[in-house]
Amino acid sequence: MSEYQHELDASGLNCPLPILRAKKTIASMNSGEVVKIIATDPGAVKDFEAFCKQTGNELLSSGEAAGKFEFQIRKQ
Amino acid sequence: MAKRMKAAERRASIIAVSKVLFADKGFHGVSVDEIARRVGVSPAVLYQHFTSKDDLYEAVLDSLAAPRETYVEATLDGPDDFASVLSRVTRVFIDRVEEDPDYFRMELQSALEGGDIANRFFASRWQSIADYIEYSLRELVQENRASVVNERTAALLFQGLIREAIYNKCIINSERYKETTLQNLVQQLLQLFLQAINYKE
Repeated sequence: MSEYQHELDASGLNCPLPILRAKKTIASMNSGEVVKIIATDPGAVKDFEAFCKQTGNELLSSGEAAGKFEFQIRKQ
Repeated sequence: MAKRMKAAERRASIIAVSKVLFADKGFHGVSVDEIARRVGVSPAVLYQHFTSKDDLYEAVLDSLAAPRETYVEATLDGPDDFASVLSRVTRVFIDRVEEDPDYFRMELQSALEGGDIANRFFASRWQSIADYIEYSLRELVQENRASVVNERTAALLFQGLIREAIYNKCIINSERYKETTLQNLVQQLLQLFLQAINYKE
């Protein structure tokens, strides 16, 4: 796991909200910075893969623990 | 490789036949034996592809849904304001329903059958849009950009509008709305919804 400078808790939210929140957070970040995102929607795994593919940001990690999903995304 | 392709084709044909049967008769109105007979295989072969009728029904629903990637793309593909995102996400949903109205027939059948299956439709299809409206309205009201309304009731209103449009255009093919497309009708209803909650950009 790499260091992260920003954190976004999208627990309890379903698509499209986590995607919109992530877009907003990443827009406020500098290039190269990393955001850690927490989500509870199982669909978030596919959503953030698609999000990174479409936005060009890098999905550094994607994992699950205790019913929560955690992603780390580096801004391009 | 050839054998694997054949298995994938068999699976696809079971899903295609089941979809039509579930849409016509509902979940409880169709037996595994009947599906197998229509596909031209034995029930044992069908169970090689699906562990249960429930599993098969789930696969049919998945085959009818727009891929999540399409929703993500629609979410990102334009302005972030409430009305624009709601419009784009609804458009994806309607595109898919229009492409294959059997999805909606299955939903109507499930409503009559009741129980868990009907709830599954809400969870897998409508909940994302309903939750988006609820959460967004809470913020919009705080920002004084929408009237104070019960967010859950407002989400139900929107769901009802869309469902009625699909019903008229895809199920009964109503003469009354034949001059307009489903997408056009839905976008008009979306505008009426925004007016009803007194939405300000």
